[in-house]
Amino acid sequence: MTWWQALIDAGAVPATFAPSPSAGRGPSDDTGTEPAALVEDAELQAHPIPERSTAWIPQAVSFLAGIERWSVVAYDGVVQIVNAYVAAAIRRRDRRGRLQTTRERSRTFAIAPVKRMKAPLRELLEQSAADVEPIDDELVEQPARYLEQVESTVRRVRAGLERDLAEACAQALPADEWLVLDGLLSRSPAVARHPRALGVIKSHATQFLEGRGLERALTLPCGHRTSVFAVRGGHTRTEVYSWYVRLWPWEGNDLLYGLLRIEARADSETVARATALSGWLWAERTPLATPATRWDRLLYPLHNVEEYLKALAPREPSHLRRVSRLPQTGT
Amino acid sequence: MIARPLPDQQASPAPIGRVVATELKPATPHQFHFWTATETNIGIGAIVKVGAGSGGEGGEQEDRVVYGVVTDGFAYSDLATPLHDVVGAEGDPTRAAGAPTARQEIRYWTAAVLRQTPEEPLQPVPLGLVYVADDADVAQALRMDAFLYSPAPTAIPIGLYTSAGREAPVYLDADFLLGPEAAHLNISGVSGLATKTSAVEFLLGSIFAHFPAHKGRIAALCFNVKGPDLCFLDQSGDLSDEDRRRYERLDVPPAPFERVRFYAPLKADGVNLNTLRTHPDLVGDVEPLTWGLQEVVDFAEVLLNRDDIDAKADAFIDFLRDRVLGRTFEDGFGGTHRVQTFADLDRLFRSIFDGLEIASGGRSGSDTWRTHHIATIRKVRNRLLNISTRCKGLVTDDGPSSDLPWSEFTDRTVYVIDIANVDPLGQDLVFTRVVSKLREQLERRELGVDAVIVFVDELNKYAPGDGTETYVKKMLLDISERGRYLGLVLFGAEQFRSQVHRRVVGNAGTQLFGRMDMDELATPGYQVLSPATKSKLATLPIGELMVRHPHFTQPIFVRFPKPPVLRGRDGVERFPPAADVPFEDAVVRQLVRLDRRIRPNQVKDLIADREPDDVRRALAAARRTRPDDAFAYFRKALGNRITAEAPVPREHQAVPPLNQISDEPY
Repeated sequence: MTWWQALIDAGAVPATFAPSPSAGRGPSDDTGTEPAALVEDAELQAHPIPERSTAWIPQAVSFLAGIERWSVVAYDGVVQIVNAYVAAAIRRRDRRGRLQTTRERSRTFAIAPVKRMKAPLRELLEQSAADVEPIDDELVEQPARYLEQVESTVRRVRAGLERDLAEACAQALPADEWLVLDGLLSRSPAVARHPRALGVIKSHATQFLEGRGLERALTLPCGHRTSVFAVRGGHTRTEVYSWYVRLWPWEGNDLLYGLLRIEARADSETVARATALSGWLWAERTPLATPATRWDRLLYPLHNVEEYLKALAPREPSHLRRVSRLPQTGT
Repeated sequence: MIARPLPDQQASPAPIGRVVATELKPATPHQFHFWTATETNIGIGAIVKVGAGSGGEGGEQEDRVVYGVVTDGFAYSDLATPLHDVVGAEGDPTRAAGAPTARQEIRYWTAAVLRQTPEEPLQPVPLGLVYVADDADVAQALRMDAFLYSPAPTAIPIGLYTSAGREAPVYLDADFLLGPEAAHLNISGVSGLATKTSAVEFLLGSIFAHFPAHKGRIAALCFNVKGPDLCFLDQSGDLSDEDRRRYERLDVPPAPFERVRFYAPLKADGVNLNTLRTHPDLVGDVEPLTWGLQEVVDFAEVLLNRDDIDAKADAFIDFLRDRVLGRTFEDGFGGTHRVQTFADLDRLFRSIFDGLEIASGGRSGSDTWRTHHIATIRKVRNRLLNISTRCKGLVTDDGPSSDLPWSEFTDRTVYVIDIANVDPLGQDLVFTRVVSKLREQLERRELGVDAVIVFVDELNKYAPGDGTETYVKKMLLDISERGRYLGLVLFGAEQFRSQVHRRVVGNAGTQLFGRMDMDELATPGYQVLSPATKSKLATLPIGELMVRHPHFTQPIFVRFPKPPVLRGRDGVERFPPAADVPFEDAVVRQLVRLDRRIRPNQVKDLIADREPDDVRRALAAARRTRPDDAFAYFRKALGNRITAEAPVPREHQAVPPLNQISDEPY
């Protein structure tokens, strides 16, 4: 019996709320406007990048990605009690192009404002749930904002897992091997300073450019990259170098179609390598990361890591997999 | 008793896959699905085991062990639609091949359940780990343990199961191959791949080596119906080291048959053998197969068509058979006859016709003899006497017969009857008479052996599913349906199983399949096979067979070694057939074979200016008697030369026509 079933048996009201699946970073990581300083060219330019046939592709690369899942499983009055699961993994690509998992971590936990729960249910939760993540109880009376807080908490836990894995991997990374992260490189200073680590950002809520530079970046032709610019990202405000790469023609779609932002170590070597690194990432658009909806920006190896983690994730409780939320008639 | 193989030395063999079941593709009591690593050595036909205690979905231990044979395989990636591959490669296949990351792939297999232990309650296959079957597992999976490890084993090696990097002997149960539980074997396959005949040759050797003593003695009788296929069963063929290793693994001696007796009819000249085994070094072992009236008359129906045999003709033949043949018989016109040959019969007929003509005095008078109308008598005469003409060489006019040793068949001996060059009518006669005699002798337990395997190739020709009823087909049906009670076992071979009579193939307890034609595999008889199994059948290499046997719940692929005998084509190259020799030389050759002291000139002088028929008769007598002094016997049998006498003028120089039947068409 699950811990939330025990709560329900003890008087909690069963719940079936699960948020829409979110495969990407939320706005909190990458929102708003950040100033950027060009470190290549006098003004932002579009540079052609090498075709796949001539692109340099490292022989060994590790890819890191994570997933998160959460759902409200019970109510104690208006207190929403959440079951969450986060996982992250690193899969290493060998010379034959096969991906093998080298590191992985996961965590299943409950999220509840324990102080606002009735005593018997609170005691039962503490007894039956092995891992409880506390949450601020100020927003309990505002269910929608409370859920945003839950989502933020889950994302933070996931980011922590990913950071731990990335740091461990970066520390042991062989001399000829690269590490590609799904998301911000700047989240971990140690990783952000690694000479063979790249962050691949698919969402573009934060804009680093403006004016003519922004226009050139967002209308970047397929097979081109922008000039390199310096940004400070993550909670640590670690400086990294960044540039945009267009994987697929945006014309006929939208400005962000096939557009990636790359983060790498803030070093002159990064500027020197930006074209070669872009050619490598451009080559990574094959195979397509379908059926993921963001396949135009999702590199297949990162998609593969996500699929791997999804395959290992515990199945959702059956009552959460109900197709319809219409009231049951009992017939 | 055969020792049980020791369990695999490896304490805990590594699993090669895991059973998976979904709502759409669940595991059932008869089928399951499993995945393996992309690089795996299992394939279609591999035997696998879902092991005991391998852990189910929830990690629970399972005591149930399930054996299965892989019947289908699938490979796919996470590609949602082929179009995505085109888009990713921008329409250039070489780009797709050069992608830095290989898509996630799966090797997904479907297996049919061979056996579950415990057998009750019969349940769906547990979702456990999958292992490659070892020798002991193969024996269990194919239910061979019951007849392989018993105190009185009845196991006959049929070949080696060689899938998944393993090699395990596969055995047939003699009780189900040679009776009495089930019997008969049928083998299908396209021509020219040296599989059908080779498989039967190997299996006969295996049977001779492993036929259990408690089941008695066994022999094989093979009809050689095409070329030199079975003409060199006593000669060694070339075997590779790999073949010899397989023989050792199967515990079958890699040697040609020790005892083979060859029979072939004579050619029309009555002295040269009608076979391709006429090389001087080998022809001495070939016995002529010649039959006289006594042997043929019981099978006259085989040689006469329905138009020939009406009720009246049938009655007259019965009269001859019951009252005349082999007896001292008075013809009613003052003549006494003892009819033993076609020549004697002809003399009887002439005597009857002459007698009737004389009795009628040239007028319209009596036209019946012993209640049989003269027209019927003439018709039967024409048909019967024509037999020796139509089957010249096989049926002798007036010589004694040379036949198989019907009461002296010996254990583990192959009897080969070469009828490859005999016309279809003669083949009909040989089939019918030989099979009838075998049945008759086995019924009386007077054959000399307890069981006989009859091997007939080209069942498409001799037992077709459609077409007219022939005596050969009747005989083959008879063996198929009733033979096993007698110990008469049919090993049949054909190219197209679907076109052989259903009861012939349906009664075969054991069925072997070599490489098959795709058109043949598309016929309804193969619907039970998976597309992958059919595909494998269509590309089977030489020396590999698919086996169906009553103990095996699913078809099994086995590999058998090349037979240790000389193949027909190789035999003809190594022992080229001798050209037909002149009559005198042929007589000399046959007499010298009986007695090596005989000088050729002595024989040639003796038979000079003698009637060939007289010589043939004397030769046949010597051949049959096999005297110590063959030449003396031959000379005595030939008799003294008799000078022709002047013909005595007869009362009637010409036979007047019989007015009343002058328009009869005979």
